[in-house]
Amino acid sequence: MTRAHNLARLLPALALLGSAAPGRAVAQRAQWTDVVYVPGRWSAGHIVAQADSLALMMRVDYFSAPPKWRAEIRRTTDGQTLGSPEILVGSGEQAVVVTQLGTTPLDQHALGRDPLVRALVVFDQAGRRKGLANGRITDRAADGKVARVVFRREIRNPSFDSALLDPGNRAGGRTLLASGIAAVGDQRSASVVATAGARGVDRVKTPGGDVPVRPDTMAVVRMEHFSVGSVALEEFLRAGGLGPYAAPGDSAGRRP
Amino acid sequence: MTRTRRAAAFLGAVALLSAVATAPAAGQSLFDRLRQAASVARTLLPISTEKEIEIGRGIAATIAGRFPVSTDAGLTRYVNLVGLTVASQAPRGDITYRFAVLETPIVNAYAAPGGYIFITKGSLDLIRSEAELAGVLAHEVGHVNRRHVIEQIRKSDTMREVKNTLDLQGFVLDRVVGTGANALFTGLSRGDEMEADSLGLEYASSAGYDPGGLAAFIGRLDQHAGEGPVSEFFATHPKPNERVDRLNSIARREGLPGGVMLADRYRATVGH
Repeated sequence: MTRAHNLARLLPALALLGSAAPGRAVAQRAQWTDVVYVPGRWSAGHIVAQADSLALMMRVDYFSAPPKWRAEIRRTTDGQTLGSPEILVGSGEQAVVVTQLGTTPLDQHALGRDPLVRALVVFDQAGRRKGLANGRITDRAADGKVARVVFRREIRNPSFDSALLDPGNRAGGRTLLASGIAAVGDQRSASVVATAGARGVDRVKTPGGDVPVRPDTMAVVRMEHFSVGSVALEEFLRAGGLGPYAAPGDSAGRRP
Repeated sequence: MTRTRRAAAFLGAVALLSAVATAPAAGQSLFDRLRQAASVARTLLPISTEKEIEIGRGIAATIAGRFPVSTDAGLTRYVNLVGLTVASQAPRGDITYRFAVLETPIVNAYAAPGGYIFITKGSLDLIRSEAELAGVLAHEVGHVNRRHVIEQIRKSDTMREVKNTLDLQGFVLDRVVGTGANALFTGLSRGDEMEADSLGLEYASSAGYDPGGLAAFIGRLDQHAGEGPVSEFFATHPKPNERVDRLNSIARREGLPGGVMLADRYRATVGH
């Protein structure tokens, strides 16, 4: 057998090895969302007591590759909109707050004095998540009253850049999630619009033959500017029993 | 040289080596093999997320040019809410998903790269529950997640002109967009469709919807076979009964839990 043939056989094997190695690492990863409520309801920027009512406080997106993890916290101050994320990056039970300027240990940061934020560090020393993977978690105060309710939903097959779990990485301060929970927003530059707009009448192939098409760039711009709002999405999920509000492992086949 | 360009150069070199090192076909000269190898190397040229979105915008504009985009804000909002619900279960965090309704009786849905997803009014007229809509949109999200159209573009002849991703602009970009639009309108590969079915099933089920939604919709299409509005769908997708059997088989094998159908909410919003 020639050297060239040996090389030809070696390359697919190397490729297989290369693709198999990351697969093991990916298997340990986890990604989930906690939606955090406290008893009461929002009124003029404050939570007022109300029986049988829960007020949305924050949404937290977790990304974990033990022992490292990352939590992106979006709070609401009016029950209507979720703010920009505050980012915690941790290893085991230790966490730092990531800002555009650098990192500060959670213990030395103002966030560390917030009991709700302290409660978000849901990892053991090895960086493994404590508690349920999915479902409703109710935390009670010493007097037995409900202190907060968390709806947790895990995402299957998570995929994210490990570099974002590293607080020293330049991308560490960047928000990991660009979609899903945030309002649908514009991320494109005007120059891109101009490029697409320069295209004139095209002919496109269809099963019924070629048809003339004049690309409608403005329709795409309207699509990009259309927003549903993150709180509206939360309400939609809650009303439908979806996402974090879905009954975990329900095999009864609810069909309202 | 950036890391991306070094990676592209490395992959190209590997492709070149493997193609030249394989046994030659009868009558094939070294130059033929080198040309073939260079062609293989070109198809390995990576397309960044930024370029994917730029290409996707062009394809989305072409789709919106073929069929008018609905201006019904309530309907668009609902489709976006359902779409974002299933998209939140998909692993890619580097793109923003956007959903729109196309004003045409044709039954179909399209996923342009970069997260621009369309469903036709004809499809909404046949859908009977939110779980079915979620299944269809989740299938399209699956196409975006696996970059099916981008992969079609990378394998196309159009990419012969592209030496590096910096060439993907102007008229070259227009041709690439045209290639992508043609791929969408004439149908992706059977393998891509089956993969999108599996992913759609997973995303919709993970979001809490009944996993039978997509299969229910596809099964209903089979009852309309031969009718004009569904002819494009039949021409661009694998056989419905085969897909339904496969989807049901996956749901059983994976032991997917039951979820919500939300037929009432769908009727109340879409108006059937």
